[in-house]
Amino acid sequence: MVKVKLEHKRGRLVLHIGDLKLECTIEPRRWRNPLLAVAVLVLLPPLFFHRPDILTLLTTANIYACVAIPVAWQMIGIGRMNFGPQIFIGIGGFAAALLSIHLGLGPLQSLPLVIIIGLISGFILSPLTIVAKGLYYSIITLVLPLVFMQLTYVYSNIFGGEYGLSGVQQLISLGSMKLNFLVTFYLSLLMMLVFMFVVNSIFRSRMGLFAAAINDDEDVANALGLNVNWWKIVCYTITSMMVSLTGWFIAYNVGGFSGETYLPLSFMLKILLIVMIGGRGEIYGTLIGAYFVSFLETGLRAAFGSISHVLFPLILLILLLTLREGLYGLYSKHRYREYYPTVRVRKR
Amino acid sequence: MFELIQIIVIYTFIMGSLYLLISLGFSVVCGVLRIFHLGYGLIFVVAVYATWMLMKEFGLGLVPAIAGMFVIQCVFTLGVIYYPIVRKYSEREEILLTALLLVALLVEEAANYKYPALAGLYIPTTIIPGALKIGATTISHQMLIAAGIAMLVTVLFVIYLLKTRWGMVMRAMSQDINAAQLMGADVGRTYAFAMILSIIPPTLAILVMAPFWSTDPKLGWPLLEIAILVSVLGGLGNIKGTLLASYIVGFVVAVVGNLIDPRLTTLAMLIVVVIVLVFKPEGIGRSESLW
Repeated sequence: MVKVKLEHKRGRLVLHIGDLKLECTIEPRRWRNPLLAVAVLVLLPPLFFHRPDILTLLTTANIYACVAIPVAWQMIGIGRMNFGPQIFIGIGGFAAALLSIHLGLGPLQSLPLVIIIGLISGFILSPLTIVAKGLYYSIITLVLPLVFMQLTYVYSNIFGGEYGLSGVQQLISLGSMKLNFLVTFYLSLLMMLVFMFVVNSIFRSRMGLFAAAINDDEDVANALGLNVNWWKIVCYTITSMMVSLTGWFIAYNVGGFSGETYLPLSFMLKILLIVMIGGRGEIYGTLIGAYFVSFLETGLRAAFGSISHVLFPLILLILLLTLREGLYGLYSKHRYREYYPTVRVRKR
Repeated sequence: MFELIQIIVIYTFIMGSLYLLISLGFSVVCGVLRIFHLGYGLIFVVAVYATWMLMKEFGLGLVPAIAGMFVIQCVFTLGVIYYPIVRKYSEREEILLTALLLVALLVEEAANYKYPALAGLYIPTTIIPGALKIGATTISHQMLIAAGIAMLVTVLFVIYLLKTRWGMVMRAMSQDINAAQLMGADVGRTYAFAMILSIIPPTLAILVMAPFWSTDPKLGWPLLEIAILVSVLGGLGNIKGTLLASYIVGFVVAVVGNLIDPRLTTLAMLIVVVIVLVFKPEGIGRSESLW
């Protein structure tokens, strides 16, 4: 008979199952605000059931966050700034679209294949994190998506050129457009929360400690016995797969995929700004950044029309230069922090 | 076979020279300031749209408009790029690079707002119209002039760097900034001057290329891409390396464009750069040393 015992110990719940001991922090400051944020995100959207535009905006914010969360982890985990994470949105998106169009695979059928494609392509490109040092890594990652975009033009018979691919199966079809929008939002929210939970758990685990060590000083981490190259490859491969999954979601949600939309520098810049303005590598900051950037872009467009395209980068530039620790830094200004990651470019 | 070799040699020279002119300014910034100027593409956009604005809105002729555009370029480079961003955030590259990209996007959007891409524009910088037939190939006079200007500008840059006192200061700073400072080099002023110098080659490049190049508000990105590839291949900030890399890239483009598929030229350029980076990570030249 396995002995099971639950006890409250110094702000933690400790579950004993035989010899196994599982701990969970119940300190309110750790979970109260995230739980409130999740509650708002879950409960608020039904109020906008008759406003598909707002639901689409919220879905877009979740999609941005789904890219920004793994990118933030990657920046910490390999200690460098990736200027081209959107290449994996392209890989995931085109893979899903091609699988749907040519093999008739639905979202759930193509999901494992896209995960495998994301892992393989991430693994193939992962040596870049070792070969390309410091600034060169940023340069190469900057150029890769642009080359991929040109390939989509060259092989327009496969990738659909500037117009992209269309005719991908819908993510969901519930008979009502409004219901589709609402459920799509919840699916995007679920994906974003899973990403956040996974990355947050990793940041708090031993693997997160390795990531922090690599981020702080690769040489010291290496000298302390950490297999830096291995952990960088692991981090790059998994995060690439996560970004590919976002591409998969976009393809089925939009019913098509175009490299022209997701591969240019302007889209990458949006993701980079979400990470930077959100909170410079802070995992909760990416969520704040994603919602802020989405609402700002749409709000400006609604209020100012075509000049919003000029105002949008202008406001983001001002925020980038004035908010030292991003929007999340404003929230966590007076809180004790055990570790603050420094996102830097020029590391050896 | 002889004709094919002739075509490849001519296109290597022409394209290599154009790439040299496009990427020379980028190399100067990399070499002297030791930063990666991701806003470099906006120089091309400002060159085209400021000239067009001065001609269209103020009724200036081509030459006064170009002169005015150079003034705008200098003011913009110092007032928007160098002092508020580069100088302030040179130690925090994550902010610096993102801010430079944002400024480039801002300029692009502003140009697109004022002069939408669909409306089009025309900069009449054709110096000699027509084309020259060399063996089996025909090259427009404008392309030959562009190649000639590239050679001339490079020679002037090299003379400046090797034979003048300011050039010596720049070389010293590119080799060891601390030692140069100890020897009395005015770092702030030299940086500002290097930024001004860096706008000359790309501005001249887009002006001579305007008659045969697509000019829209997004024109800066592909040119930035070329500058990045050439500079990385040449060793960031090394003029000698950039010179050699331009013609290597020109050769790759000529061979792939003429023998395989013209649409694969950028991919071929990237593959060459990645191969060189794998075996010689610092590029062809001595990385981050101007000469």
